[in-house]
Amino acid sequence: MAQATGIVTITPGQSARAAPEPSGWRAWLRQPGVLTALPMALLMLTGFVAPLLLVVAFAFMPPQSFSILQPPTLANFQEIFANSFYRSFLASLYLAAATTLICMVVCYPVAYAMVRVFGRVAGVLALLITAPLFVADNLRLVGWMLFLVKGGVLSGALQAWFGIATDSMLYTVSATLFGLVYTYLPFMLFPMIMGIAMVPLEMREAAFDLGATRWQVLKEVDIPLAMPGILIGALMTFILAAGALSEPRILGGSSVVMIAQDIQNEFTFAQNWPKGSALSVLMILVAGVLAVTLLRRIDLDGIFGRR
Amino acid sequence: MKRKNLLQSFSASRRELLRRSAALAGGIAAASALPRAALAARENELTVYCWEGYNSDKVLDPFRTEFDCDVRAQGLISDPDAVNQLRAGDTRIWDVINLNNSWGRRQLYPENLIVPLDQERFRPHWDMMLPEFKWPYHWAMSEDGKELLGNIQRFGPSGMNVDTNVISVEMAEDQGYNLILEDDFAGKYAVLKYDDWAIMHTALAAGFSPFRKLTEDEIGRFEQVMRKVITNAAFVSDDMNAIALGVINGSISASFPGSVYTVSTARFDGNPHFTCVVPKNGPAELGGKNGVCWMELTSLVNNPQLSPRGADFLEYVLRPEVCKNVAFAEGTFNPVAQMGDPRVMEQFSTEELDAFQWDRMPELMARCADFDDIPDYPKLHAIFTTALREKGV
Repeated sequence: MAQATGIVTITPGQSARAAPEPSGWRAWLRQPGVLTALPMALLMLTGFVAPLLLVVAFAFMPPQSFSILQPPTLANFQEIFANSFYRSFLASLYLAAATTLICMVVCYPVAYAMVRVFGRVAGVLALLITAPLFVADNLRLVGWMLFLVKGGVLSGALQAWFGIATDSMLYTVSATLFGLVYTYLPFMLFPMIMGIAMVPLEMREAAFDLGATRWQVLKEVDIPLAMPGILIGALMTFILAAGALSEPRILGGSSVVMIAQDIQNEFTFAQNWPKGSALSVLMILVAGVLAVTLLRRIDLDGIFGRR
Repeated sequence: MKRKNLLQSFSASRRELLRRSAALAGGIAAASALPRAALAARENELTVYCWEGYNSDKVLDPFRTEFDCDVRAQGLISDPDAVNQLRAGDTRIWDVINLNNSWGRRQLYPENLIVPLDQERFRPHWDMMLPEFKWPYHWAMSEDGKELLGNIQRFGPSGMNVDTNVISVEMAEDQGYNLILEDDFAGKYAVLKYDDWAIMHTALAAGFSPFRKLTEDEIGRFEQVMRKVITNAAFVSDDMNAIALGVINGSISASFPGSVYTVSTARFDGNPHFTCVVPKNGPAELGGKNGVCWMELTSLVNNPQLSPRGADFLEYVLRPEVCKNVAFAEGTFNPVAQMGDPRVMEQFSTEELDAFQWDRMPELMARCADFDDIPDYPKLHAIFTTALREKGV
């Protein structure tokens, strides 16, 4: 009967011939999670980690060389620290910080309105803000160049309609900053929308019920609770802006040299891959430290509803 | 029967999966071990890495149709960048490479990155050439003069470009680069950021040839001139159209450096006052030449599976009508060395010839030294990029 019901009973003294439980790394490797993660892990290793390792390896190769099979040296880093490359780093960090700050100030009211005010129109607005992202940023920036150049759309219109003569608005640090804000604004806006959407309305109502002013609600409830989204947006905007290449070139006329331009120069015209790699490693370190510091303050599990 | 989920089925048939994986891996290994010829069936494909022009549809489409060939072409942005890519192993990707003259003879061929052309096939085409490019043309041959390394086709002089409504040609030619260096001219010109060309012309402006090792004093003088050139510039751009736009709207009056290559489209577009000039009275060591001329060399890459269409393409671009299409491709208009052949000359209208200043071409070219290797390039380039970083400080 026991067999008919499919139940096997083992009486004391009988020994079941079960296979021994695998232990250690073999058991770990057999976990379904590990197995399913393997393809992605391999892809990340070959497509993401390996190129980074190659860049790191090149950073320690002799200047002007094209192989990683040479005795390592610190010559590239020494040359970078002995020269004025700190200016490019500072310019990048300064412009990225300014871009992030401006984007924050511009985006917060827009994001708030899209979550709390516009209702269904918010979707259309989101589409309009996203649409330019489908066009390469180089093309969009050339469009702005034609808009801002002397005799272009803006100065031509001012001259024709109001008789105001203006010079070119291009090739300045301000033009570079404008380009950065324009290009990276959506990267601040959408995480910010996500952050603001996370703020429970009940919390705001409770704050008002307890006599809080609008300013206090903004300061004590809205911004702190939306902070994960704001920080993610700030991080993305800052890192992307710090690595910008086209904006200082097309709108800035190289009035300020950002670090990405120096890196590109080393890889192309200078024929110095090791120095370009060393600059890249330093930039990755700066961005990495910043990312780790900020991400420690963000509760990603909370954002994605796992807690 | 209870249905198994994906992972359970994977677990149950693991042995089978391993067997199939092993078979697949074996198959891949066997395929890679096949004789090269079996994989080299590239009769119907061609890859071209070139300066803009050779990659235009006007040039490529007729070739695609006639040779039933899938042609992939990519424009390059700098000679050194392209050379580095070949050095890094991209010889496996490209069949045809098109670079300025000195790279083939000085670096690509000695480093085994390009292969010589069949002289029996290509030498007859040299009858089309202008007198200054007649066989055996220096830059088309290997250092020992035995091998033909490629076709010479587009060429042009480089000096500076000026708005002749503001600065006369005579004034620009007589004052030369001193015009740029005068404080009164600050903010009235743009620096064209084609790094090697900016470096060569700055050396000329400093009074010596860039094509030899420089003394410490000369490098000091170079730095002084370069910093002034960069600091006084209205802007620095690698976009020749942005510079032309600046001249057309009156923001600036000159481009340093400047060439027929960078001025021809603006001229053809109705701005004949924007003109390339090569100043007189250059360094004595260059015989008084004060500009640099370039000639493009189009070669076959040392690709282990070189497409047989590569040589066909090199021959195809020498047809008179294709010469015209190469000369007048999108982006920039330039003369071609095959204009020594009347069949090529008759392809061009007066307006087109005027776009690339054909009437003054012999004079401009005579004032130019040939583009060549710059022995102190790493040092001079570092000075250039440092001056850019420290502009205005």
